[in-house]
Amino acid sequence: MVITVEILEATLEHLFLAYTALLIGALVSIPLILLSLYNAKLASLIMRFSNLVQAVPSFAVVAVVVPLIGIGFTPAVIAIMLRVLLPLIKNTYIGLFNVDPSLIESAKGIGLTEFQVIRYVRLPNAYPAIFAGIKFAAILANSIAVLTALIGGGGLGSMIFEGLTNFNTTKILAGTLPVIAIALFLDFSFSKIEHWLTPVYLQK
Amino acid sequence: MTIKKLFDRVDSVRLENITKKYGEQFAIKNLNLEIQGGELLILIGRSGSGKTTALRTINRLIEPDSGTVSINGADVREFDSVRLRRNIGYVIQNIGLLPHLRISENVGLLLKLEGWNEEEIRKRVRDLLTLVSLPPERFMDRYPHELSGGQQQRVGLARAMAMDPPLFLMDEPFGALDPLLRTQLQDEFFKIKKELGRTIVFITHDINEAFRLGDRIAIMNNAELIQVGTPEELIFSPVSDLVSEIVDSKRKYRHIDTLKVGDMMQPLAREDTLDPGMSAESALDLMVRKGLEFAFVMGKSEVSGRVCLNDVLKARTRGIELKEVTRALPLFSSDTTLIEALAKLKSEGESMGLVLEDNEPAGVLFSDRVLQNLI
Amino acid sequence: MFLVALFFSILIGVFIGIFTYRNPKFAAPVLNGLNVVESVPDVALLVLLLPIFGIGTEPTIVASILYSLLPIARNTYTGLSNVPRVYIEIAEALGLTQREVLFQVRFPLSLPLIAGGIRIAVVFTMGVVTLGGLIAAGGLGAALQNGIQLYDMGTILVTGAWVGFLAVLLDGIAGIIESTLKARYGTWS
Repeated sequence: MVITVEILEATLEHLFLAYTALLIGALVSIPLILLSLYNAKLASLIMRFSNLVQAVPSFAVVAVVVPLIGIGFTPAVIAIMLRVLLPLIKNTYIGLFNVDPSLIESAKGIGLTEFQVIRYVRLPNAYPAIFAGIKFAAILANSIAVLTALIGGGGLGSMIFEGLTNFNTTKILAGTLPVIAIALFLDFSFSKIEHWLTPVYLQK
Repeated sequence: MTIKKLFDRVDSVRLENITKKYGEQFAIKNLNLEIQGGELLILIGRSGSGKTTALRTINRLIEPDSGTVSINGADVREFDSVRLRRNIGYVIQNIGLLPHLRISENVGLLLKLEGWNEEEIRKRVRDLLTLVSLPPERFMDRYPHELSGGQQQRVGLARAMAMDPPLFLMDEPFGALDPLLRTQLQDEFFKIKKELGRTIVFITHDINEAFRLGDRIAIMNNAELIQVGTPEELIFSPVSDLVSEIVDSKRKYRHIDTLKVGDMMQPLAREDTLDPGMSAESALDLMVRKGLEFAFVMGKSEVSGRVCLNDVLKARTRGIELKEVTRALPLFSSDTTLIEALAKLKSEGESMGLVLEDNEPAGVLFSDRVLQNLI
Repeated sequence: MFLVALFFSILIGVFIGIFTYRNPKFAAPVLNGLNVVESVPDVALLVLLLPIFGIGTEPTIVASILYSLLPIARNTYTGLSNVPRVYIEIAEALGLTQREVLFQVRFPLSLPLIAGGIRIAVVFTMGVVTLGGLIAAGGLGAALQNGIQLYDMGTILVTGAWVGFLAVLLDGIAGIIESTLKARYGTWS
């Protein structure tokens, strides 16, 4: 019974950590995306940088946060946020820009302002890509929130690492299984929503 | 290395009662057609008329629902489809050169799969590229996307000839080329065809191309064969309004059987002719100055033939005399009938002939201009 | 460790790609299955492999391979299935057997896409191998963990930067190979 409560608490902690980070990441990405919409140079810089950083192992990102900010919950949130920020921006950007140019032209032609073009043409077109970015980021956040236990983020990751040091299989499983369950749930539910969000004409 | 062939020559290709349906739609309906060995048979019709489907039953890219296709009397279904196709050259409008292979590898692909050694392949590829007027040393190592459309189609032709097939299937091979290039490739193709003497089934939607190249023309419409015959037969005895509309016989050829060469020739401009004794250099000079693509070579009375700008360039670089690059021309008297003259031009693969009056050169007959003037 | 993992990933991934292409009814279940593996957090996957393989390099390599299979297999499958119709048609008309069409036409034309998949796998493998340090697979990951446990800023910074640099470098090399293939094979967008 004690262990069930412990798992429940750790799971909540884990979810809170991962999705606080994701939320902050999403909030931070909005102004960056808007900026890059109006500035091609900044956009290409962000894209190039995001591609580079994507290659860096998560573990290295998490570790490097320690000397810069320290350990605890906040550094853990920051580490996760750094990681999910780029897929969010990248996907949104791709979604907004892979719009048939003639569509944009004709929208401008009938007298839509820049903002209205974004609102009524680019955004609806970008939904699937933005959503794919959010799905990817959500799964990534879940994954890195485990790792951040190493730098004091707590949650399910702590259980896993404690279990590892003590060779306590029960504890390891108690940490691992909820994490996997969350991952599978995310993957499944997001795929459903994705299917539902994709415009009919894009479905096979 | 010898290749085991299914057939060395084609005496006949016979399509009997061929029917093919897609859903409820007939692609071909009870088609009977015989292609004779050594001829070039044109299949012409609108898109959706079934011509491509008919063509593809021959190399078994399409299996008909009923009916048989036989080559030299043997049902094609008795052959292994891979061996069959290696014995049939295939050229299509989209060419389909493999983008990851060099030109030499594209042409030599089948030879390699047949187990030829490297050196034999290279030699064969060189010969083939030369045959289609692509200098091998300049093209062998390039990739398809570096070539123009016309060059790519020449490579496609060379590739189809790699295994020396006795039968060719060609599906609008020149359809994607611009008109000038098309004429040029048709000319060259005609020469190759004469040299090789192969049996060819050729699809086009261009009636002029059909008349230029075809020995016989088969007209298809709505999945059915309407009429098959020589150009003359189609023009003079069309079986339906559709046929006469396609060959345009009402307009163009109403009086053709009464016309003589003299009525249709172009007068010869004496100042545009070259003297047989002329040096290549001064001939080139004259032609460039007058903007001539070709010129007639003749002395005071005797005619030697004609030269193209290309020939003169060749003569200059090789340092040989003009008369060595001069090609003989068909000669007609001005009272030859037009039909007879056109038939002769066609059989020799020439686009022009010289007309004599009292043994004096008097004019030129261009086969393509005859058509234009008749409209 | 990195190279072994990548080698087997490519071998198995390309094999799965070809297999699913040849047996299309397996394509959806196999690729979806790999997709699920992909969503499992790397630490969890690594930990789950411990009871089977013990601690050290083996579970790390297996985890790397499991992660890398999806991008390679999916791209191989997509590449093989989406070769433009005209090339297949002409190859068949010229008299290539199904096998020859697969290996002389489909496979080479899919190379740029397969290389793209391998590039993603390179990044994944690098990530998991670093993580392997946590379960005694040694390497740079172990140095990072030591640094965190001893609170040794210098070690963390130097190792972290070095891992990052290596990863970016490897990704860059894979990227160059990918774009060279694309350029050479012309028609692919």
